[in-house]
Amino acid sequence: MKAVAAFLDGIVLGLQYGLLGVGLTLIYGLAGVVNLAHGQVAIFGAIVVSLLMGAGWAAVPAAAAGILAAGILLLFLDLTLMRAVYRERGEHRILLGLLLMLGVGFVIDGFLVWRYPIESLSLRIGGDPVPILGVKMSTGSLLASGIAITTGLLLVVFFQRTTLGRGVRSVIQDEQGARLVGINPSSVRTFVFLLSGLLAGLVAGTRSMTSPQVSSLGIQLTTLALIVAVVGGLGSVSGAFLAGVLLGIVDRFASAYIGQFYTAVILLLCAAAMIVIRPSGLLGKSTR
Amino acid sequence: MTLLQVSGISAGYAGEDVVRGISFEVARGEAVTIIGSNGAGKSTLFRAIVGLLKSTSGVVNFDGRNVTNLATYKISRLGLAYVPAERHLFPQMTVMENLVLGAFPGKPDPARTDLVFDLFPRLAERRRQDAGTLSGGEQQMLAVGRALMSEPTVLMLDEPTTGLAPRLAREAYGALAKLRDGGLTLVVAEQQVPLALELASRGYVLENGRVELSGTSADLAGNPDVQRAYLGVA
Repeated sequence: MKAVAAFLDGIVLGLQYGLLGVGLTLIYGLAGVVNLAHGQVAIFGAIVVSLLMGAGWAAVPAAAAGILAAGILLLFLDLTLMRAVYRERGEHRILLGLLLMLGVGFVIDGFLVWRYPIESLSLRIGGDPVPILGVKMSTGSLLASGIAITTGLLLVVFFQRTTLGRGVRSVIQDEQGARLVGINPSSVRTFVFLLSGLLAGLVAGTRSMTSPQVSSLGIQLTTLALIVAVVGGLGSVSGAFLAGVLLGIVDRFASAYIGQFYTAVILLLCAAAMIVIRPSGLLGKSTR
Repeated sequence: MTLLQVSGISAGYAGEDVVRGISFEVARGEAVTIIGSNGAGKSTLFRAIVGLLKSTSGVVNFDGRNVTNLATYKISRLGLAYVPAERHLFPQMTVMENLVLGAFPGKPDPARTDLVFDLFPRLAERRRQDAGTLSGGEQQMLAVGRALMSEPTVLMLDEPTTGLAPRLAREAYGALAKLRDGGLTLVVAEQQVPLALELASRGYVLENGRVELSGTSADLAGNPDVQRAYLGVA
């Protein structure tokens, strides 16, 4: 029974990990920028939702506004700070992007903890727990999972079937080839930063359905996103979700049988082992 | 009527010009070849024309517009297609997806897809295969096919026979001759000079980043210097 519960909880948590990792993986695949502020952007969105609800907004419009705020924050970074990064090539670009985003992460985190130290977001979903395989699952975790699965499927369809989605993949695979067929890599990048920000805002909202998203949580979310993206393969959408679910299950089993304290270490070991065994990650750099 | 006019283009890398003041022109419906050995500046010239490389001086006019140093994607959308020697396909996408992207931002025209598959039946057979798993010859066909999907008015090819066996090289030129006969304007940079002179009506010989010689294909084929350097005639 304990194992079944850990397994189901692992899937619920893992879908959130996937949703968290996918935003980071897309920006890396496309722009060569490791967004070390991803989690902080998510929490920024969560705090916006929390403040708006505190001001009397209903949950749904407030959540929509928070998602949009996170999206616009990353869009703004692409149009300003990241321009300096795009002028660089190769190793310089990765390093500069990493350092700038690290700095942005500190600034967002510092601002939130300073101005809103006790603010946190919890979207409470009503309704009785639903028994699945004999385990009582809260409606909040089921709704959060449903949203994550739907978003994942929409992303896959978007990248496989639409002109813009194919355009994004083409830039990931061969930027010069993309230019030659008439694609402007710069606008594709701006679009993906916006998309990644929206996904960050969304995951903060869905995670808050099961656990409160406090203002200082950003750095932890960034670390998780990075682990998921590395295990899934940088640039791969379905890889991020697959890695997220696997890591979520590992997380819950480790927590149930070994102890909560060790789970972060075990997740990091998974990422380290992946880098050694299969550097391209579970599904490589192909956005499948 | 002149469709593509390049006047005094200079371009290079790290502040040093590889191409120095090159001028040439191509009329609508014409096939022209740019001949030169490795390092003569053929690729640099093409990259500067399509905006992949900033030219340091000179003017490129295409279809009555000044397109000098315009962004590559804009030049492509104006109808000047470029197939680089390295092809730059999308390796983890299928043949069909590569062709569909060729029509970006539009939707692919079925008649156009049929034209590409008629020209290269191999691509039709492998439409669901990833581009990265194709042979060198097939990748070259796909690169040309992808460029054709945008219905360009000029197709520029950089050494389309690089790495191809002689039989495949002849096949590739057969396809190019069909496109020329269909009215497409072609500019082909080549080291395989006999094939290129057969395809083109005129040619320019590049040496050390300058045009050394130009003339009709017959003139060039009869020139003792060209014969010695490129045609293997002693």
